[in-house]
Amino acid sequence: MSAPDVRDLPWATLWDTLRRGKIRHMVAIPMEHQTVLNPSKMGTIATLLFGALAAVNCGGASANARPPATAASASEVDEVAAGLTEHHRHHHHGGVTLLIALSLDTLGVSPEERTAVEKIRRDLHARMEPARAAQQKLAAALAEGVAAADLDATTVDAAIAQVSAAAAKVHDASADALNELHAVLTPPERAALVDKVEAHWSVWQKANAEESDPANPEGSRLAMLTTDLGLTQDQVDKIRAGFGEGMKGVPRLDPQEIVTHIREFGDAFRSEKFDAKALNGANVANAHLAGWGAAHLAHFVEAVSPVLTPDQRAEYARRLGEHAGHSNGGNE
Amino acid sequence: MRLGNQTRMLRRFACAVSLSATLAATPGCVPVFGYGDYPPDGYVATTEPVYFEGRPAYWYGNQWYYREGGRWNHYDREPAALHQRRMQGPQVRHTYEPPRGRPAVGHSGGRPGGRR
Repeated sequence: MSAPDVRDLPWATLWDTLRRGKIRHMVAIPMEHQTVLNPSKMGTIATLLFGALAAVNCGGASANARPPATAASASEVDEVAAGLTEHHRHHHHGGVTLLIALSLDTLGVSPEERTAVEKIRRDLHARMEPARAAQQKLAAALAEGVAAADLDATTVDAAIAQVSAAAAKVHDASADALNELHAVLTPPERAALVDKVEAHWSVWQKANAEESDPANPEGSRLAMLTTDLGLTQDQVDKIRAGFGEGMKGVPRLDPQEIVTHIREFGDAFRSEKFDAKALNGANVANAHLAGWGAAHLAHFVEAVSPVLTPDQRAEYARRLGEHAGHSNGGNE
Repeated sequence: MRLGNQTRMLRRFACAVSLSATLAATPGCVPVFGYGDYPPDGYVATTEPVYFEGRPAYWYGNQWYYREGGRWNHYDREPAALHQRRMQGPQVRHTYEPPRGRPAVGHSGGRPGGRR
């Protein structure tokens, strides 16, 4: 079988591949080496190769062996995970701090820790409130603009800038709560939290970068909208062209910047001593992540709005309005 | 001499085929290249783990998975404690949005409204 060349992988796929430890079995044999193999040695090499593979695969607890997936688990994953993807398409405030707060939803701490962790979770959402409010304002502006077929670019741009500015202050505001969280959790729970933050980041990337990912055209934001609103191919083509044009003015999000911050946070949070205030670049990373996410959403809506029929417009505005209404991110 | 070389080559090839067939028939020892099925990111992000042997574990695809050294492993045989935990009910999951982007009534994006 041919092994993928990691240099050809999209960055989102490469990150996902690296962090999940799936790349170690990819053995790339340059084609020119095939010509120097002596046929008389092929049997020996094959024997050694199979032996080595057996040793690698049986050395631990069956690392990476393919499990028999059940139909029940497959459908459950699709539903709940798709909901998370949709959530990450619309809610960006707080940047990585939001991903940390969301990770607390499913940390599964002991009953003794539950009250303290729940308090910290609410605290984190409270510290993100200015950013959440800015995002809600943007979502409301988009919903109203779509409904009236009149998106005001100046208002939208100002709202995007407010999301980014508010997100830039989130980490400093949340540092005490993060330190308290580290003190409350056990080492396994800290490790689980870091795993979840990385998982949320991976889902966020797929949710927001897939418009340009040819490997996943069916799961994209546009594909979902095509199904939900019954868009025609002509409408899809126009949206795609308009979206590409609109995003030209948006500074590119550097995923490496976010990866670096998440790794820095993860390494520090797993260790015995942790000080959130010592994390360099957190405010910048949060601002870039939240600002880019807001701009991506806004330009997508700006591309969609002009091509909709009245019925499609009403339905899309309703959906955007619902997201604006429930964008409290768990700060109930 | 040439015939001897060919014979040896055939023997080695037969040995390799035999060995690979044996490996393939041994449960848990099938060499896997490239991508396998692990708990996907969307699953890890929405599911409460069970803590066992000092690490979080996830029941997925009829296996208990855990991360060790940055890679996923699973237990060949289900540990008794994890089996007992599984018999008590499925791992708790959190639903952030209902399917197809239709927000739930009263959705908060937060706590256990999504328990399954």
